[in-house]
Amino acid sequence: MATVATERGALTHPDVHQFDEVNKDIVKILSRPGKGWWALFFLLGAGVLLFFGSWAIQLWKGLGVAGLNDPVGWGVYITCFVFWVGIAHSGTLISAILFLFRAPWRQAVYRAAEAMTVFAVMTAGLFPLIHLGRAWHAYWLFPYPNSRFIWPNFKSPLIWDVFAVTTYFTVSATFFFLGSIPDIAAARDGSTGLRKRFYQVISLGWRGTDRQWHHFGKAYLFLAALATPLVLSVHSVVSWDFAMAIVPGWHSTIFAPYFVAGAIYSGVAMVITLVVPMRKVWHLEKYLTIKHFDALAKLCLVTALIVSYSYLEEFFLTWYGASVVERASLWNRMFGPYWWASWTMLTCNMFVPMLLWFKRIRHSIPALWIISIFVNIGMWLERFVIIVTSLSHEYEPFMWRLYRPSHVEAGILIGSFCWFGFWFLLFTRVLPPVAISELKEVLPPPMRKMRKAEEAHP
Amino acid sequence: MTDGIKRRDFLKVLGVTGAGAALTGCSTKPAERFLPYLTMPEDITPGVATWYTTVCEGCAAQCGMWVKTRSGRAIKVEGNPHHPISGGALCAKGQATLQHLYNPDRYATPMVRENGALRAGTWEEAENLLAERIKSAAGNVLFVSAHMGPSMTELVNGFVRSVGGRRVQYDALSDAPLREATRIAFGVDALPRYDIAGARLLVSFGSDFIETGASPVERARELAKMSAVDEHRSKGRFVYVGPRLSITGLNADEWFPIKPGAEAAVALGMANVIVGGNTAAAGPYAPVLRAFDPRSAATAAGVSEDAIRKLADRFMNEGPSLALGPGVAAHHRNATAANLAVLILNKVAGNVGRTLYLDGGPNTPTRPYADMEAAIRSMAGGKVGVVMIHGANPAYTLPAASGFKDAFGAVGFKVSFASAPDETSAMADLIMPDTHFLESWGDSEPRAGLMTLRQPVMLPVPHFQAKHTGDVLLSVGKRLEHDLGGTTFYEYLRAQHADLHTPAMGEWEYGWQDALKKGLVQTKVPPRHTDTQLRAPHSALTFDAPPLDGDGDLTLLVYPSPRFGAGEFANSPWMLELPDPVSKITWHSWLEVNPATAKARGLEDGDFVTVTSPYGSVKVPIWIYPGIREDTVALAMGQGHTNFGRWADGTGGNFMSEVLPATAVQPAGVLGVNPMTLLPAVAEQPSGAFVTLATKVTIEATGEQRRLATVEGSNGSQEGRPIAPAVALASLKPGEPAESPSVEKGLKELQGVGGFVPVPAHGGTPQAFPLEGSREPPYDKPEETARWAMAIDLDKCTGCSACVVACQAENNVPYVGEDQVMMGREMQWMRIERYYEKVDATQAGDLDVRILPMLCQHCGNAPCEPVCPVFATYTTPQGVNAQIYNRCVGTRYCANNCPYKVRVFNWLRYTEHIPEPLNWQFNPDCTVRDNGVMEKCSFCMQRVREAENRAALENRGPIPKDGEIVMACQQSCPAEAIVWGNIRDPNSRVSQVSANQRTYRVLNDEINTQPAVNYLKQVTFHPVEAED
Repeated sequence: MATVATERGALTHPDVHQFDEVNKDIVKILSRPGKGWWALFFLLGAGVLLFFGSWAIQLWKGLGVAGLNDPVGWGVYITCFVFWVGIAHSGTLISAILFLFRAPWRQAVYRAAEAMTVFAVMTAGLFPLIHLGRAWHAYWLFPYPNSRFIWPNFKSPLIWDVFAVTTYFTVSATFFFLGSIPDIAAARDGSTGLRKRFYQVISLGWRGTDRQWHHFGKAYLFLAALATPLVLSVHSVVSWDFAMAIVPGWHSTIFAPYFVAGAIYSGVAMVITLVVPMRKVWHLEKYLTIKHFDALAKLCLVTALIVSYSYLEEFFLTWYGASVVERASLWNRMFGPYWWASWTMLTCNMFVPMLLWFKRIRHSIPALWIISIFVNIGMWLERFVIIVTSLSHEYEPFMWRLYRPSHVEAGILIGSFCWFGFWFLLFTRVLPPVAISELKEVLPPPMRKMRKAEEAHP
Repeated sequence: MTDGIKRRDFLKVLGVTGAGAALTGCSTKPAERFLPYLTMPEDITPGVATWYTTVCEGCAAQCGMWVKTRSGRAIKVEGNPHHPISGGALCAKGQATLQHLYNPDRYATPMVRENGALRAGTWEEAENLLAERIKSAAGNVLFVSAHMGPSMTELVNGFVRSVGGRRVQYDALSDAPLREATRIAFGVDALPRYDIAGARLLVSFGSDFIETGASPVERARELAKMSAVDEHRSKGRFVYVGPRLSITGLNADEWFPIKPGAEAAVALGMANVIVGGNTAAAGPYAPVLRAFDPRSAATAAGVSEDAIRKLADRFMNEGPSLALGPGVAAHHRNATAANLAVLILNKVAGNVGRTLYLDGGPNTPTRPYADMEAAIRSMAGGKVGVVMIHGANPAYTLPAASGFKDAFGAVGFKVSFASAPDETSAMADLIMPDTHFLESWGDSEPRAGLMTLRQPVMLPVPHFQAKHTGDVLLSVGKRLEHDLGGTTFYEYLRAQHADLHTPAMGEWEYGWQDALKKGLVQTKVPPRHTDTQLRAPHSALTFDAPPLDGDGDLTLLVYPSPRFGAGEFANSPWMLELPDPVSKITWHSWLEVNPATAKARGLEDGDFVTVTSPYGSVKVPIWIYPGIREDTVALAMGQGHTNFGRWADGTGGNFMSEVLPATAVQPAGVLGVNPMTLLPAVAEQPSGAFVTLATKVTIEATGEQRRLATVEGSNGSQEGRPIAPAVALASLKPGEPAESPSVEKGLKELQGVGGFVPVPAHGGTPQAFPLEGSREPPYDKPEETARWAMAIDLDKCTGCSACVVACQAENNVPYVGEDQVMMGREMQWMRIERYYEKVDATQAGDLDVRILPMLCQHCGNAPCEPVCPVFATYTTPQGVNAQIYNRCVGTRYCANNCPYKVRVFNWLRYTEHIPEPLNWQFNPDCTVRDNGVMEKCSFCMQRVREAENRAALENRGPIPKDGEIVMACQQSCPAEAIVWGNIRDPNSRVSQVSANQRTYRVLNDEINTQPAVNYLKQVTFHPVEAED
């Protein structure tokens, strides 16, 4: 692993003194769960049942149980798809890109962020299936050999989606698993019984030899390099689902960077949303310090600025383009029946995060957490606004129609959060949620005497 | 071929693999047991349609019909092109008669009332019972019927004579005031015949002639002909005078929004101007003319004197003119006088004998409601022992004030011949279900000199033991020992036409067969009435607008629905789901209110109001409509049934309620209301017609609201987009074709019958397809590959919506129910868009309403195609945008990317919910789509394929003859606005029609979709903004 030059004054974890301490603190989380965990487990489990129950109703009755209609063919499902794919992005950003850029603060948060990525892609990947009229024929989107010699239509952005999302899932899951191996071994060493056997299998015989570390380091670096372009490509492809169409409000060249920035934005916000309670519950304050949150908040602020710029750019270009149809679409978006969604989106994504300019806010964990929730809501609404308001107000005035989500869609929306949360909850009990081995890299070398001497003579 | 596979071997392999495929199958459902024909019926070839000629009985117009049957089931009705009335077209209602045939609510057996409840009986029992009751009624028999064919009328009259009693004819909708006015004015007891196409200025005084009245299809065709631009760059002008714009009115060039009932005043005011001082020209009506000078007419009508004077001048000077008198919606207490006033106007303008003819007609004079009133009185007085009702539903179509229900209920024995439940048969003691007209023999005489024969096109639908009423009467007559002339109605009918023989035909049987095949017999035309001097009325007539009942502040207009008539089509899901041509509302009733009136009362679309007249009140949601006067509200007839079948009663057809009981989209409130609840029971004098314009009402908001089940999303505005642009007559460029080319000849010919008439080329160019750089190779052999294309002349299109239903019938398009329409999921492949450009209900002036049929544009550069991930949609080499249902996975990306929004998705299992035997109507040549796939207009691909196969079999090359393939929408269009064919062929009609300076393609300039559908701009008399 790359070593990071750390000066003493810039220690990321000043309160962590010993390597052993890290092992103990983190592996402790994997011990017998408490009541709160079980309560969450059943709550989220019920949500998962709601998710699949709603989907089952839809498969049985037809897609008509959703609120979709003829101009508005995409609604909550595609909104959720884009949202969850977006959430996935910051995991890879933090684990791969920041790894390559040697950002010293990533170690404490990246494991959780990576897990989030994998589970978010697992959630996102279900939505294209959920939204299909005939989900049982979904495999037709894959280029498999068949007697009719029919391939998928490679011109269709939906096919690009298939490749982008499956690739992303494969790479991010591999990356996640690979990075966890030394920590799984640590968990193995600290556990007994069945649990031990389980860790023995999935730690793939990790013993921590130099040779293993050497291979591990190389593999990790390669995977990081492989995952990095995906951060940019996957959400660009997702944005082309819209940008390639001629729907007013979608057909725009700014969509790819705009969506990538939005994805990272929402992902970082989601990391904050998840990490804050983890830190509190498992007393990880010394690992997830205020510096980490400060860094996350800054990342959030940067992407917020890019997203805000994109909004303004869209407004300007729509006006400057002088297309009647585009202008009407934008006007309808801001002042039409869905004004509430648009203005809530602007408030959440553009105005509220500007508070992050203030250091005091960045250093207040509750404030950050609340802002991150705002951003999550705002980014979900952003996709809703783009998809629904554009489709409901296209070229043909006679076919301007509104869309109202149905109960089934609400069930699937809520269920998808539970499905995601359920996996994350299991993860926190099964795999070390903070990267033990990498944390140790940023700790000062174990020089007990020197430290003691310093303490004695400051 | 020595080493190749031998034919015999090939067949063996084919048989084995075929059997294997059949056994293993790709079907997901178990195959039912199929039984082959043991003895093959001579005229049925599996897979090949058999066509029969018959006559539509959907309304009194009696259009000639061709019925397509497959394996003995009627699956599609079309106009008979040889028939002078239909001219090959049909209206929406005519198309929907199939749903009456297969109406699942039809009575399955005769029903006998026992201990107060109806139970199933047998025909033997029913006929014995009827014979017995007639015998004991001792001559007090009353037979109430609607219009019937001459033979049936003769039979019923004979029956009634034999058993002792009388027959009363009751038609819910009738032109009696016009007939009476014609009789008064000219001494001719018939409706006048109009030559609308020959007029250059047509003024309709509240006559909704393309939707109701004597012959809507014929008149729509004539209106289109009259108002279309001709090769001299001129077009006929259509002026609508009336308080509300019906779909007829929406086609007008000018609108005089006069006060309700003031038609006579305007007509006489115009006549006054025309005759100048010489009122003597009006003969006995000179004093009337003097009384109605333009100024008093203007005051009475609420429009300016100047407007009336100008219209009168034009009426006199703009070529042949024609004025049409008030129809059912304007039948007030002086309706005969109003019609007479219009006849006087025609007379003084010299139109009689020029555009209005007095031909005489079939001798079936009726006094529709006056006779019924008398019948009700005698029923109430206990003077009727047995009452029989045939073809009429007075318990629904008459107001409660008429006392029909009580009187009818008081009769000892009530017989109904209704084939399906209605409000009247629900009260009957004996129900003897009649066969549907498509299962029946019959004849009709819609006008003098035209006799049409009706033959059954299929055996009676086996679910129902129906029996032709003629057969029943003959059988009952026999039981009573009366010889009525035959044992079956078929024999009786043949005997009635014993004089069919003409020497040219040879034997009588040949003549009969020939008449059946053609569907019509031209009989002797009575001599044209030449004495056109106006005669004095035998009793005093008042030409003023009559006082209306009640002291409400709004006048109530009750108009026959273009979809339901007087209510007889209310149980057809096609009709219920067809957007009303004016309001675009489906399934439920609405009250039309002017925007100013609504604003003054703080009402919005969908607000429920209680409409109260002195006779009753109804609760109905309002719809705001600029095409109605501020002092008037309007309600359509035909809905609010209580016992008319599942859809009419509002108990069938909602999908969401089955899917999710607690959903938020449950339709709120009532489905339909019957405006008769608000009306008094008054017979107009002297014609005896039922008075529909009789009362004033008040409206009061109830505070409830519902979403209207409308398909219109834009509130009537094009929002600055050139969807349906128009061009002013004056700005048509000289030197380029602008006329509406006549395409009627041969267009409506059936398969292989012929009718190919090459049109000489004048500069038509084929459309560019395929586009450069597209996947399709460029055409190098235009003679081998067609580019199918369509042209729609918006100057002809009337918005009647017949095409929508024809398409639905041809292509197995399901209906979806009110809740689904409210969610925006109607499945029709065509929609008729209606945009208001200029509608002013406060003063007389130009009217500009744009109507545009929208369907898949079959783009050469289709946005839907590249986005489909599985190639479920693609452009065929013939330029048709094809949709492959069984490849579709349902991403709906294509629909999102379609700028025309013509793609519709099967959100639920709509087709599976279509009950037996309504699904017998399905076209076996067209896939029935399942849940989860996208669909849209296919350019009637099954028709194209059929013609191509036929052309191949007959060695005519790959492209069928021009005109051989006719789209379902095109076939039904009374205005002949739609043309379809191979645009690569410069001589094809579609090329000819498209080579026009008015041609444009919707949104093509904006997004380069290269549609295959050319529209020809509507032509207006007034200047229009943004003519591009």
